[in-house]
Amino acid sequence: MHLNTVGRYIRRSPYQAIAATLIMALTFFTISVFLVISYLSVKIINYYGTKPQVIIILKDTATAQDIDSLKNQLALTGKTSSIKYISKQDAVGVFKKLNGENDPILNEIVSSDALPDILNVQASQPQYTNDLVAVAQRSPSVDQVEFFKDVIDKFIKFVNAVKIIGIFVISVLMAVAVFIILTIIGIKITIRRDEIETMRLIGATNSFIRMPFLLEGAFYGLVGAFIGWVVTYGILLYFQNSLSSFFNGIPLFPLGQMVMLVLLAGELAAAIILGIFASFLAVLRYLK
Amino acid sequence: MIEFQNVTKKYGDSVALDGVSFQIQGGSFVFLVGSTGSGKTTIFRLIIRDQDPSEGRILISDWDLLKLPKGKIPHLRRRIGVIFQDLKLLMDRTVLENVMLPLEFTGMKTEDSMQKAKAALADVGLTEKEDKFPLQLSGGERQRVAIARTLVFDPEVILADEPTGNLDLQTSLQILDLLQSINKRGTTIFMATHNEEIIRKSNARVIFMEKGKVIEDKKPKGHKGKGKEEKE
Repeated sequence: MHLNTVGRYIRRSPYQAIAATLIMALTFFTISVFLVISYLSVKIINYYGTKPQVIIILKDTATAQDIDSLKNQLALTGKTSSIKYISKQDAVGVFKKLNGENDPILNEIVSSDALPDILNVQASQPQYTNDLVAVAQRSPSVDQVEFFKDVIDKFIKFVNAVKIIGIFVISVLMAVAVFIILTIIGIKITIRRDEIETMRLIGATNSFIRMPFLLEGAFYGLVGAFIGWVVTYGILLYFQNSLSSFFNGIPLFPLGQMVMLVLLAGELAAAIILGIFASFLAVLRYLK
Repeated sequence: MIEFQNVTKKYGDSVALDGVSFQIQGGSFVFLVGSTGSGKTTIFRLIIRDQDPSEGRILISDWDLLKLPKGKIPHLRRRIGVIFQDLKLLMDRTVLENVMLPLEFTGMKTEDSMQKAKAALADVGLTEKEDKFPLQLSGGERQRVAIARTLVFDPEVILADEPTGNLDLQTSLQILDLLQSINKRGTTIFMATHNEEIIRKSNARVIFMEKGKVIEDKKPKGHKGKGKEEKE
């Protein structure tokens, strides 16, 4: 019965309904995007966290003896699972193999002079990475040591910045959504003032009068969140292959139907609560 | 039974009702007569607890209205049918939906409420109009819809605020006949009106009001009950 009333209210003012639904859709599209980014970020961080790899970039002046000495020092720590020497020439070959036919000009430019000799060291446990880095940094033959912890730390800083911006943007959008729904429901209450008065005088309770407005807010939240989620999922599916290529080697996709369903369920619940909250504010404000 | 005990209603410095007292027994038909601003509508609003008296006491059957919790007010209003001066029909709903409206408040199943509403429309002779909208009806027919809406709860009392105000004499008399037939079933009818013709045609008790006071309480001819007549 209340649902029939809600349907009637929505059919009577379709443009207001569209406005309310769209703002909710935009809000929850933004939420979906940021949640997916956060989820993928965690996956990336975890991926690199399980890759206890240290890349030691050797100076051009390092001799074969120096390199062997360093390899022995690293092996003697007992914390390595493999140590692989990659010469400049080997590195060029790998580079050209990776780029393939994509960039023939770049392949022409890159030569062995442009790339260093490196030692690719795998720690037997992720927690040994720092020890191996310390050993390498003490060697005079070493120019630079890179390990994924640096990358991860930088990436985490980037992700945290994105999260802060995301929280701010989402908060603003949610506040806007609340105000828009509050205003729309408020207008409807004002338009229906006579009807509400009649219902009150012939025996309707306050909750009976309020319920359709609360359900209407919930409806806008539900539909808006669903649209936002569908658009996000559609974009993800469309760009999935491109993103997989970009994050070459990292198992990010497919995202998993369960993940997306959990996201949908959470967003629908949040959207319904937001919609009801906004309507409740309108009822408090305009329905006395 | 409706009883007003020395009821006063003030709006700021303005006195709408001044020490009004009367008693209406169950099953009565009573007219409330007075010019605009005499306090008739105020009395009706006090009876349905739309407003509270400034002084005095109002009893409706076993309820002392001032002691009635706010949560019970909707239940009071379901026991008292009200025919408003402006009818208060919902123009975007059909006749049947308008009559079903009060039943929706109780959560009654649609089939059951539809059945009761159709029975009420049959009572007022509007069965064939149930799918029409109020704007498609004549003034008299709209009045019947308003009456039918009050009947769905089988109320003890019907308050009729100028139900014939905008109607011609013939239609007014038809409305009066309808209310009298409802009264014969035991429902108390308390009707505000200016219409001297329908008062004359009906041998009913008349309470006259002026400037917020009861100036005369005229019992019907042949009435032998106790009661008071006040004359100023």
